[in-house]
Amino acid sequence: MSFHLAPKADLERGITTVGGRRLVFHCHHYNVFLQRTIEDALQERAPALLVAAGMEASRSMLQGLENDAKSAADALELAADTFAAQGFGRLDVRGLGEGGGRATLDHSHYAVGWVSRWGKRPTPGCFFVAGFLSGAVAVAYRLAPERVTSRETECVAAGDERCSFRVEVW
Amino acid sequence: MAIDERVIVETVAGMGLAGNEEGLIPAFGLYLTNHYADFYNRISFGVLRALVRENPELTEDAIALLTEAAHVCAFHTFGGIMASVEWDGLVQPMIESREDWVHGMIAVVNAFGWGRFRVAELLPGERLVVELRDSYESSGYLESYPRADGPRCFLANGGMAGLMNLLYQGDITRRPALTEELYREVFSHPRSFRSRERLCAAKGDSHCEFVVERMQG
Repeated sequence: MSFHLAPKADLERGITTVGGRRLVFHCHHYNVFLQRTIEDALQERAPALLVAAGMEASRSMLQGLENDAKSAADALELAADTFAAQGFGRLDVRGLGEGGGRATLDHSHYAVGWVSRWGKRPTPGCFFVAGFLSGAVAVAYRLAPERVTSRETECVAAGDERCSFRVEVW
Repeated sequence: MAIDERVIVETVAGMGLAGNEEGLIPAFGLYLTNHYADFYNRISFGVLRALVRENPELTEDAIALLTEAAHVCAFHTFGGIMASVEWDGLVQPMIESREDWVHGMIAVVNAFGWGRFRVAELLPGERLVVELRDSYESSGYLESYPRADGPRCFLANGGMAGLMNLLYQGDITRRPALTEELYREVFSHPRSFRSRERLCAAKGDSHCEFVVERMQG
């Protein structure tokens, strides 16, 4: 059985929320084009912005999840199911714990979208996902966000078989 | 006008657009995400502030980059939707005129969480004025930054230009292939449409408003 945080829609106002934060539908063309625009503009500084924004957004949306879940591991699974329901791909978070660890992602929206539009890239490109994982671990284990970092070590968009992330808790 | 916006909004919202077993949302010939408005706002306003802080003279160039991303969004997202089987089943039967394509697309977008759009004026082939309330860009901006000195709904603004370009420059009613060549042809045309955000909640207006007109080239 799959669980995810169900969006709430206010059709009169055109607003959809989860955890009080807004969700908006966008397609892979916009997502990867906007990311590329930012990478081109900020160069080596771009990953810091993209990952930090992913973490900030996921923490805001997932806040409170830790209170509803039976355990931190359950909270992480719930976050992963929510992530899949939102169309980002299927995360395996069983390798993550209070001290961090490794997560993998099959069918990454960003990697699939990037490859379909431009082919392979030289470096990993799922920055939003790295940020999401940092935010999810911080929420699930009730950690100060400054203690959690995440980095993509393998990426389908860079020619690897799957996307893989290393999460560290300092 | 035969477009029934309420039916379209309720039907699209009721489609249950959510990830499949792979965690992807294939719909309208696209891969969709039900993404975090906070993420878009932080990266868009973050890159704008970084570029302007370092080179204030590049403000218009920075805004042009974000607008270009919006044009790409409109071309593929709106174009993909208007060429989809979902459009054929839901919206196409309501269409009686070319202008109904605009009203139909606006109705679909009103189910996407971007806020509530309303067509205030549509002069066929020449001009579109659209109001937007609860824009995720302007409301997100005001949560994090002081009142803006200019409009901030870059995605919605470029999107409205894209809608008019798809209809009156690219003639989406004939279902052309949405190629990069067509994109360049449509958006680089000297008489293509551009949009100006005349009102924006981020700068203190009660709502946002976009005026879309042809360039004078």
